[in-house]
Amino acid sequence: MAYANPNITSSAIEATEFMELSRRFRVTGVPKTIVNDTVEIMGALPEELFVRTALQIPDDSPTP
Amino acid sequence: MSLLSPQDEQVLKEHLSAITKPVTVLLFTQAIGGSESGVVAKQVLDEVARLNDKITIVEKNFILDLDERAKYGIDKTPAMVLLGDGQDTRMRMFGAPTGYEFVGLVEAILIAGTGNLDLQDETLKLLAAVDKPTNIQVFSTPT
Repeated sequence: MAYANPNITSSAIEATEFMELSRRFRVTGVPKTIVNDTVEIMGALPEELFVRTALQIPDDSPTP
Repeated sequence: MSLLSPQDEQVLKEHLSAITKPVTVLLFTQAIGGSESGVVAKQVLDEVARLNDKITIVEKNFILDLDERAKYGIDKTPAMVLLGDGQDTRMRMFGAPTGYEFVGLVEAILIAGTGNLDLQDETLKLLAAVDKPTNIQVFSTPT
């Protein structure tokens, strides 16, 4: 996702090595995705649903 | 002792042969107060880089290389920053890239080195429309 748009930065974080950060974002299972410190996605989702959820784009809105 | 078996190396080498652009992985570590995983990260990266001459590992000192820390937004170690053809891909990894994280590392290297994204057209359109800074953090574990 980051490679597709210069406004996006992505980080893969090893949860057990950064416990403080994991606690802050209540990582109780993996994978867990946090977008802009606010949006939480637990587990894996189908590609388009994942992107729509991460970017807060409603399912019924058309693709740009 | 190698972390990768000769068989793993052979398979990985074939995957990495798709790379057409130079890939640089900046590895930020710290000797004092740093975790053992920095040493593991270095070994993993060196073993991968050995398989393809377009991959280069550059070690950075988390305490001393402050300008580059700031440039790439690195606030913890070990940290990996992937550059494709010298340009920041905005892909980062934190922690030793072992287990599932290793798969992520290889995929990130392939994206940086080929420019190919294995994403659907609809997804790419959604991503292209992002017009404000978006920080995505994915937490995972090696097993």
